[in-house]
Amino acid sequence: MPANTASAAPSQPLWSPILLIPIAWFIPGAGHFLLGRKIRGAIVFGTVLVTFLIGVAMRGPLYHPAADGGDVLSRLIQFGGWIGDMAAGVFYFAASFMGYAPPDVAGYSPDYGSKFIVAAGLLNILAIVDAYEICTRQKD
Amino acid sequence: MKLDHFETTVIFALVSSVMLGLVTKRTDKERLRYGLYCFGCFMAALFGIGWAMRLLHG
Repeated sequence: MPANTASAAPSQPLWSPILLIPIAWFIPGAGHFLLGRKIRGAIVFGTVLVTFLIGVAMRGPLYHPAADGGDVLSRLIQFGGWIGDMAAGVFYFAASFMGYAPPDVAGYSPDYGSKFIVAAGLLNILAIVDAYEICTRQKD
Repeated sequence: MKLDHFETTVIFALVSSVMLGLVTKRTDKERLRYGLYCFGCFMAALFGIGWAMRLLHG
């Protein structure tokens, strides 16, 4: 019946969330792009890329989950930082593949740099959640 | 690249405000206004905390 079709349509996701989330994670902004929000996808891509590149330019070290030594808190910080780094998707893997591994030296600039790299991942997580909500029609 | 504390904080405020404005509101006008609002809050916190530290520590 047309009435049932009309009432069922808004609850249907625009795209498969199971596919959309990993794509949006791996390529920042791709989730918005696939959902037809191309300008917003480009802004997400540019913002995450700029944030990541600033972190790299400041020679911020990447976190490693299996960093040896340290107490539980240090290992927790390393693991959380690693999750944040990984959340930047393809940028993290490209940097790792190209051998980006600056030493963890003292100084505020590398410290800020590592935080920028983590922030790039966290901004991408915000964008993934937004893409998921658009996909499931919770927002436009 | 060597940025000082102020430049680093302004850049961080800028990218964070762009993303917060992008993902929270429903219309482009609301997104722009919210992004500017977030950036203003970051700046207010930056100058407020900066002056507080100067006044407290001399």
